[in-house]
Amino acid sequence: MAYTTRQIGAKNTLDFKVFIEKDGKPISSFHDIPLYADEEKQIFNMVVEIPRWTNAKLEITKEEELNPIIQDTKKGKLRYVRNCFPHHGYIHNYGAFPQTWEDPNQVHPETKAVGDNDPLDVLEIGETIGSVGQVKQVKVLGIMALLDEGETDWKVIVIDINDPLAPKLNDVEDVEKYFPGLLRATNEWFRIYKIPDGKPENQFAFSGEAKNKKYALDIIRETHEAWKQLISGQASDNKGIKLANTTLSDTPTYAPNAVSDIPAASPLPDAPIDKSVDKWFFISGSA
Amino acid sequence: MIAWSLPRMKLNERPIARLKQINHILNPQRGFSSVKQGSKYSPNFKQYLKLPNGETGSFFHDVPMDLNLKDRTAQMIVEVPRWSNGKFEISKDLEYNPIVQDMKKGKVRFVHNIFPYCGYIHNYGAIPQTWEDPTENSRNGGLESLAGDNDPLDCCEIGSSILQTGDIKTVRILGSLALIDDGELDWKIIAINVEDPISSQLQNLNDVNKYLPGILEATREWFRDYKIPDGKPSNSFAFNGQYKDVADTIEIIQDCHDSWKKLVSGSKENEDFKGLPQIKRAGADFAVKADEQPAQPIPKDIHKWWYI
Repeated sequence: MAYTTRQIGAKNTLDFKVFIEKDGKPISSFHDIPLYADEEKQIFNMVVEIPRWTNAKLEITKEEELNPIIQDTKKGKLRYVRNCFPHHGYIHNYGAFPQTWEDPNQVHPETKAVGDNDPLDVLEIGETIGSVGQVKQVKVLGIMALLDEGETDWKVIVIDINDPLAPKLNDVEDVEKYFPGLLRATNEWFRIYKIPDGKPENQFAFSGEAKNKKYALDIIRETHEAWKQLISGQASDNKGIKLANTTLSDTPTYAPNAVSDIPAASPLPDAPIDKSVDKWFFISGSA
Repeated sequence: MIAWSLPRMKLNERPIARLKQINHILNPQRGFSSVKQGSKYSPNFKQYLKLPNGETGSFFHDVPMDLNLKDRTAQMIVEVPRWSNGKFEISKDLEYNPIVQDMKKGKVRFVHNIFPYCGYIHNYGAIPQTWEDPTENSRNGGLESLAGDNDPLDCCEIGSSILQTGDIKTVRILGSLALIDDGELDWKIIAINVEDPISSQLQNLNDVNKYLPGILEATREWFRDYKIPDGKPSNSFAFNGQYKDVADTIEIIQDCHDSWKKLVSGSKENEDFKGLPQIKRAGADFAVKADEQPAQPIPKDIHKWWYI
């Protein structure tokens, strides 16, 4: 499990890319990292995209070979989430489960909405600030169902297994016990975070309540199955997702030589972030 | 001591140039800058005020308070940028009062992150040429049993930009909160940078509630709880935590300016009190030399979020 990262360019620029490497060789952050770090103990691998208290919307890209982490853009401009009072940037280490897919061809029976075509989103709540491209081993605690512009966008709540509190956290009610207010803050954060951009408030399914660990594990399994369909070429519509991988020899898109096309590391110091990102937005009646 | 002497300009030499120099010194925001020494986040970090003529001055004493009663503005020195944790402050013990990081038990001090907040929630700093006199009890009704905390008045700037340590800004006074910290009176002045896009709409506490709903409650909660992770009790407030309005706040600032005048006049030196601030000021043709070193890393445990 010796994962490292290969950085290209400077953070906060359009050139920025982070590939995940295994034993020094680039792999797909979407497809090549096993979902289960230890299936028996229910320990999962999570890819960190966005460190807590930062604003740059970094994500595993579906459009480039080996799916590096890049900064999302909107109308050609780098995308940052706004600071919505009392929060600063993202309030979790935000990331994704590899080898999962929220299938946009499937309507979920309970949320009545289709998947958002992304890997399953993960909110890691431990005390350490993660780094872009870090592969963390995590324990699943619960899940919330965000309805974002008509799509289901599950948010799985997890904690790093190395966190001092991890042994005490086993299900969603433990989150409220040891992190009082965090679930409410999470709910508020996702409801309001697009309001400064002129969008309406997001909604949650299940009246905003977080579902328990068992429910979360079911969703993870479903999205893992959907990914299996995707990677085996059997999805009814793969939406053009780049499926090249370097470890799954029984898939049609197995491409161990994809590695040679990946540029060498060329990290540069962080570029400055536009000052407008520093603003704190006060959204009345949000709390 | 790293120091060098400036070429002294005699008064009868180039009088207009000298006059310009003096004008620069007296006119705020025109040419004040900083000189840094040492590594940020280490005990040897120092950030000195540099006057337009190159001399070293004191952030505490040489930046004019510039209280403007008509506009209700004053000057503020930024010590801590919003959303950061390093407890930087104007030193009382060092000559020329550079900004240093506060120390505790031999270690540089950071404030902890109190959920749901991240670091300091304001651009935090001080109003120059003010002093909360620790040798006399307050004259403010209701606070007669309290003495000041021996520091310049603290100021919380609530504008939308993140300001930097050592910035000198003109801020509009909006109100104040009377924190009682370890039995000492420690006013927190609420203010906004006049350069902020909404500063003209903010004239009083009602406007703050209208444009930044929740910030006053958050400020109170933050100051109440911020020392709890260090094993200290929660702080309390005078006046049941009610904010004082602009007029009362201006009186507080004026009182603390009067106290400061006594301090720099040297008339406090015969008091019993140990640890009066250094009062050395610019004017000795003294200048420290820049010698900034790369910052030390911030300890990882500072990233923890504390749930109170």
